[in-house]
Order: sequence, then structure tokens, then C-alpha cells
Amino acid sequence: MAKLVGVFAASHAPLIVRGWKDVSVPNQESLTRSMTELGRRMKAAEPDVIVEIAPDHWVNFFINNLPSICVGMGEEHDGPAEPWMKDCPYKKIKGHPRLAGHIVETALERDFEPSVSHHLTLDHGFCIPLWRGGLDPLPPIVPIIFNDLEPPYPTVRRCLQWGGMLAEAVRTYPEDIRIALLATGGLSHSIGEPTMGEIDEPFDRECIRHFESGDERRLVDFLNERLPTIGNGAAEIRNWVAAHGAAGKRGFELIGYCNCPEVYVGCGFASWNLGARA
Amino acid sequence: MRDYWLSKLFFDLQSSPPLGAEYRADRKKILDRYPLKPEVRKAVERDDVVFLAARVNPYLLRFYFVVTGMPENEFLKRVRNAGAETAARSSHG
Repeated sequence: MAKLVGVFAASHAPLIVRGWKDVSVPNQESLTRSMTELGRRMKAAEPDVIVEIAPDHWVNFFINNLPSICVGMGEEHDGPAEPWMKDCPYKKIKGHPRLAGHIVETALERDFEPSVSHHLTLDHGFCIPLWRGGLDPLPPIVPIIFNDLEPPYPTVRRCLQWGGMLAEAVRTYPEDIRIALLATGGLSHSIGEPTMGEIDEPFDRECIRHFESGDERRLVDFLNERLPTIGNGAAEIRNWVAAHGAAGKRGFELIGYCNCPEVYVGCGFASWNLGARA
Repeated sequence: MRDYWLSKLFFDLQSSPPLGAEYRADRKKILDRYPLKPEVRKAVERDDVVFLAARVNPYLLRFYFVVTGMPENEFLKRVRNAGAETAARSSHG
């Protein structure tokens, strides 16, 4: 049977790539340290496949057809389409249709109805943490897109449950493979809004404390109350919530946090301690 | 509120660098392909960030003004004004 060998989360601010030279040296060092450590932990987990949750930044979907959750079932996906991601080494990204299919079947059994895609383009949200973490070559990826960009969003509670379902799908997958989960996005930021550029570090710190405490109710209540009051980019914390659910809602460990105004994002990087090495 | 054709224009422009280049060279030619309401088209022609911000997803708004080449500081100034104008309107009932 398959094993869940690691659960991780990372911010994916575009300006980490597009505006890197304008980032202050201390913030460059902080981000590099965190992204390198994240990559080291991911590689140390030796995953055969990475299930990755990220939003779609208007690359695959538009408001004529906007899934809340979409599972990428294809044999292959395209690398990022953004012109400023041209140096990213991932031009074509191998998928894992069997695991993706099992996730979708498990989801349906558990009363989730995700949409599916047999060919996705994986934008910077998927690729920056993997690239900057030094995962090259990449293991196959099962991409899962959460709609964190255009309201109405999936509820925080449902994202937590989705994570639990994902862990079950990994446990019941019949092949003897090692599976890691990476969730990307957040923490606080605001894009294209009147508050653009504002980072709410107290919110981010409190959010981190709720992940650390493992108190599910307080985490969900906190996010339900606060997410509507801060910048739109924090909606992506839903992806972290799913990772938290997959990890059994415990074991959160912050790798690093950088309040980085040059990239407009309160950048967080984390992993979940899953207990004894699988 | 989302204006569908405005959103579609912004989505298409940020999806296709060649279309973006064509747009920068001749806005009218591209705008003629989209059935925009007259007031929306005028706002696009005027780079009226405040008007447009109320009608599209904020990320698409941001991507659109990157495509048009509006300097970052200018966009930040205008989008922040969108907040000030909304607040002013609410305070006047």
C-alpha cells in the first residue's frame, strides 16, 4: 500500500522570480534559507509522487467554467506559461493518472464532487516552490487546483475535510509507493485590491499558532472570521488547511516566515511531522 | 459584480503575449472584437482603474495593467484610490 511520507506548505509569490533583484538581501537570505530547507525535507522524504494543491491564476480556468476543486488526471502537464517563468526547468511535467484516478474515486465515495482535467498547465503557484526547492528532476505530480482566486470559495471546513480524504486516498492506494503532499499559496497578501501590498503579519503569526496548536475548531473559526477581512491572497491558506487535514491536524512545524513587502506577501514555509518515518 | 466581456478581454490579453503586444500597438482593433458596454469601453480607454476594479477579478485587473505596461507605482496609486472612492461613497450613504 502507498504511504504518506511528507506534508509541506509554501508560499509562491511571483516576485520571488520576477522581482528577485529588488528583494533586500536579508529577505533574499531568509527566503532562500526557507525554500532550500523545504526542498531538502521534500527530497529527504523520497517521494515517488507529489500530490500538489495550488490555485489556478487564470491559466486553466475562466469564469465561464470555474471548478471549486479540480484534480489533474493526465499523463503529462505543461509547465508554467508565464513569460517570466521561462527559466523554470519544468517544461513538461509528468502526471500520475492511476493515483489521480484513485483520489477522484475516493473523493466521490466521500461525497466530494471534484472536476477533473486530463491536461493542465501548472503555473507559478505549482512550480516556484518546487523549482526554488531544487527538485530537479521532479517526481510525477498529481496537481489539485483549489479555487482560491474568485469567490465563492470552497469553505475552510470543507478544505480541511478534503485533506482528510486525501490521506485516506493515499492509505488505500494499492501500489507500494511513497507519496508527499505539497500545498502552496498564502500567507497574507493582497493583489489588485485597494489594499494591494499590505501584509498582515499579526494575522499570519496567529494563523501559524493555530496550525501549531492543532485545535481544529479554533483554526476554522479563526479563518472563517478573519479571511474575509484581509487581502484576497490569504484565501490560498485554504490549501494549507487541506494539508493540515491530510497530516491529521497535528505536527505543524514552521520552517520560516518572511514579511517580504518587496514581493507583496507574508511568505510562510512549513512541514508537518508525521511521526515515525514511514 | 463581474462584467463578463471585460473579464474575457483581460483574461485573453494576459493569456497571450502576442495578443498583448497587438493590444499595446492598436487598442481599438482588439477592443472592437469584444461586445463591451459603452461605459465599460470608455473606462478601458481611459485606464479608469477605479471603474474597472468594481467589475473584474482583482488578479485579472492586476494582470491587465501589467500587460498594458502601466508602471507599478502608478497602478498601486490608482488601485488604492479605488478603496478611497468606495469608502467615500459609503460614507455618503
